[in-house]
Amino acid sequence: MAEISDQPVHAAVDAQEVSAVGELSQSRLTWMRFRRNKLALIGGIGLIIMYIVIALGPFLAGNDRQYQNEDYLFGPATQITFTGPDGRFGLRPYIYQVTTRLDPEEFKFVFDIDRETKTPLEFFVRGDGYKLLGFIKGNVHLVGAEGDQRIYPLGADALGRDVFARLLSGGQVSLTIGLVGVALTILLGSFMGTVSGYFGGLADDVIQRVVELIMSFPTVPLWAALAAAMPPISGSFSTLDRYFLITVILSLVNWTGLSRQLRAKVMAYRESDFVMAALAAGASDLRIIFVHMMPNASSHIIVVAALSIPGMILGETALSFLGLGILPPAVSWGSMLTDAQHIPVVLEHPWLMTPGIAVIIAVLFYSFLGDALRDAADPYSI
Amino acid sequence: MSDQVSVKAAGSGQNVQQPTRRDSILDVRGLYTYFYTDLGVARALNGVTYSIPREKVLGIVGESGCGKSVTALSIMQLVQPPGRIVKGEVVLHRQNGAGPTDDVVLTDLARHGVAMRHIRGAEIAMIFQEPMSSLNPLFTIGAQIMEAILLHQGVDEAEARDRAITSLDRVGMPSPKVVVDQYPHQISGGMRQRAMIALALSCAPSLLIADEPTTALDVTTEAQILDLMRTLQQDIGMSIMFITHDLGVIAQTADEVVIMYLGRVVEQAPVDPLFYDPLHPYTRALLRSIPRIGRGIKEKLQPIRGVVPNPYSRITGCPFSPRCDSFMTGVCNVNVPGVTYLDDGRAVRCFLYSDRVEENG
Amino acid sequence: MTGYILRRLGYMLVTLVMVTIVGFVLIELPPGSYLEFHVQQLRNQGGNVTQAQIQALERRYGLNDPVYVKFWKWISGFPKGDFGESFQHQRPVSELIWDRLGYTVAISVFTLILSWSIAIVVGVYSATHRYTIPDYTITALQFAALAIPNFLLALVLMVFLQQVFGTHVGSLFSLEYRDAPWSVMKVLDLLGHLWVPVVILGVSGTAWTSRVMRANLLDVLNMQYVQTARAKGVPERTVIWKHAVRNALHPLIMTLGMSLPGIISGETVVATVLNLPTSGPIYFQALIQQDMYLAGTFLVFLSVALLIGNLIADITLAWLDPRIQYS
Repeated sequence: MAEISDQPVHAAVDAQEVSAVGELSQSRLTWMRFRRNKLALIGGIGLIIMYIVIALGPFLAGNDRQYQNEDYLFGPATQITFTGPDGRFGLRPYIYQVTTRLDPEEFKFVFDIDRETKTPLEFFVRGDGYKLLGFIKGNVHLVGAEGDQRIYPLGADALGRDVFARLLSGGQVSLTIGLVGVALTILLGSFMGTVSGYFGGLADDVIQRVVELIMSFPTVPLWAALAAAMPPISGSFSTLDRYFLITVILSLVNWTGLSRQLRAKVMAYRESDFVMAALAAGASDLRIIFVHMMPNASSHIIVVAALSIPGMILGETALSFLGLGILPPAVSWGSMLTDAQHIPVVLEHPWLMTPGIAVIIAVLFYSFLGDALRDAADPYSI
Repeated sequence: MSDQVSVKAAGSGQNVQQPTRRDSILDVRGLYTYFYTDLGVARALNGVTYSIPREKVLGIVGESGCGKSVTALSIMQLVQPPGRIVKGEVVLHRQNGAGPTDDVVLTDLARHGVAMRHIRGAEIAMIFQEPMSSLNPLFTIGAQIMEAILLHQGVDEAEARDRAITSLDRVGMPSPKVVVDQYPHQISGGMRQRAMIALALSCAPSLLIADEPTTALDVTTEAQILDLMRTLQQDIGMSIMFITHDLGVIAQTADEVVIMYLGRVVEQAPVDPLFYDPLHPYTRALLRSIPRIGRGIKEKLQPIRGVVPNPYSRITGCPFSPRCDSFMTGVCNVNVPGVTYLDDGRAVRCFLYSDRVEENG
Repeated sequence: MTGYILRRLGYMLVTLVMVTIVGFVLIELPPGSYLEFHVQQLRNQGGNVTQAQIQALERRYGLNDPVYVKFWKWISGFPKGDFGESFQHQRPVSELIWDRLGYTVAISVFTLILSWSIAIVVGVYSATHRYTIPDYTITALQFAALAIPNFLLALVLMVFLQQVFGTHVGSLFSLEYRDAPWSVMKVLDLLGHLWVPVVILGVSGTAWTSRVMRANLLDVLNMQYVQTARAKGVPERTVIWKHAVRNALHPLIMTLGMSLPGIISGETVVATVLNLPTSGPIYFQALIQQDMYLAGTFLVFLSVALLIGNLIADITLAWLDPRIQYS
């Protein structure tokens, strides 16, 4: 038999291959689970691409979003061909010459495509001026054609405006309103919920009554009523002001859900041992709230925030669709869809529905992210 | 009943036939239960073998995570996905009157099949640790007991209700006729656990598996429940498998003890020899770590060094070796020790007693 | 139990009063008034309105009264069923609202019943068949359903039905039944047209409710009492439906109160697209034109519908759950 060793066996402990699972922190575990979710990956990357594209909007689109081409009302999408004027298939894209004429019998505009005349597309051409991100001036566009011809990748609307350019421009509104709105919701909801749950008493009663009152109204009608209260666009009330007021309106109704959940959490934490310990150690209320309770509730807040963004985007879209949200000259995906309300119009010009597809895709991506976050923070996921 | 017991002297390491237990009601043989999760494979049971003696109390002891609850669930075929019994068998020796026993291999039965479901509740019953969450909050105590009776005993509702009340009375429940119509949240923790026991006993099972039944109770209630279980066991002649981490409860209640560590049985012995002459270093360390009243104030507590590794780890050699005081380099960290059977009905898994190596590591 | 109901009713009445006050304030918020809108329209059409005429109209509609007077005049008519007059339609509000509110409630109730029935079944199925292909398909459908704005779905469905079936959707009745008195045939006709808005409205609600049901059921399946039921030898099907689902339903019923706002407000939007004779189209029109009595009354009554729905949900929950205290 071998000798029984007198030495402590710490070396033996180190030599064992031990899985690290038991030693990871909560946030690392959450991150690991989140990363493994393939849908979250699709959502995350998709959203990053979307945001980059709309940030570069004016550069990527050939036309200014306001430009009304009277010759191209409801014009179809520009067709691109890779066959050159010499008839050979190559790598260079060309567009056809299109002329508009009024059909006297049907009293509609008809767009004749002249397949013989081909104009090559150029990259990085100079065109309409713009301000990227609001302050970078430029007039170079990614794609353009020689001469006066304009490209309409997604066709034109009732006023001859480039749908693609408006799509990118509208995206700037539709995709950011959600973020700003959610930020406001988090601030308001967390503050109210924490005060309500922690201090109780009169503050709790008042806040809870306010919450119940707000929740007594159906959402969209309430938003509509608030939005209708805004003054019309004028010198003293710009589209930017209206944009911010709309985010405020969206969050004014939305914060109630978060505040209720946070109130329940805070009330539960208040009775918990770690808060008792902190109180016994002499910690101030503020310290307990910010140092002890908030970090515990933070994962919940993040998940609720991520899950609220789709609702905000859909809310703004609905409001703008009804004519109560973003108004001209600003554009959002919802306001673009107002043009697509009538069936005959949509049937003839289906490209007017593209903002709807954009909304669906953006909301899907955010849903993937939010769902993955919630599953990652969920203790029962195996 | 086979009397064949052949045991070689410790140290010879030759083929040792596992002695067939005299009169056991249930045998667990070489049970492997694994959980396949996203984070890896958790090997909850790694070849667990023990026998539950008929009409006696078998105590199963171990720290959290050693697999004692999983072995109970495996017996009942209640292991939920992503867990599965990978290998091994569980055999129930069903007694038919005075004749020879029927051997039913539980692991061969379909998990949700009629045969297994009949055994659950009617032949083997189980009670759990948390009485509050073990009872459905939406149904009355009576309804939950009656559900079992109606399933297994083929009587009508009125008769089932009478039997439920009788069952409650037998476990010492105050005012059983009132409690039978009450909801779980309306009665105290001790009463809930009594209700659970009443539920388990309502169909007169031959084996009761109790998974930490008193851990969630205060000491006074615990004493009452333990007394109750002992009395009932002697009155009805029921076998009990009692799972706990509390050695004090074991000393009080068990006839035989199984010590588990990381999914394996490391020692099995009758209760007195275990406490007065522990063989396995883990058992010794456990007994040594119990604080004793009356010893000198200056004496330090003696915990077991190190921590229990998590079930996702793979350890070469004996799983206890990193924490063992009798660690032997070159032996203990190379192979997993096999089970050594000793004369007096004891078994131990340690290289201190034989060179036997586990067949499939 | 009756004490509980009475207390909740009393509570609701108080909230109702607050709702009317807030509703009125909201309607009064926009600068300008219907009169200005109307006058502007007249002027755009080339007509003109004299100052005297404007003042006469102002007096008639009480537009220059202080706010609390206006409010009092409006609310004192409530018990008599008088909710003021609609400027736009030149008729008492009470003539315009009842039919439309009735249809709104009918559509909402149908949608609720349909979507919940489907959602519970789907939720239970996907919770008990995790990681299977049908589960993944259901999840994909749920995501899609939650991402599509309801008015867009209405548009798409309208286009689809028009193109494929040639049917003209966009009303609740066929021509012959529209003004006919109520009869069995008329009800059947209504049901035949009702399914379009009900389906559209129900899609996102069903998706959301089924996900909540799935999550709840997964939580409940991890509970100890489910294991106890199995240990008793209860068949698996009974374990799921009798023990687990009933417990999972409870938190779900609590969300009934949260489903309702979505359905009611969704109904307003979808009805606008489909041009149905319900509250939506008229409400939004009224807002844009600042037809305040009409808009205000609608807002209040929509909220009433919501409050009543919540009350019913709370009572149902209290009745089903033995744990709820009535003190």
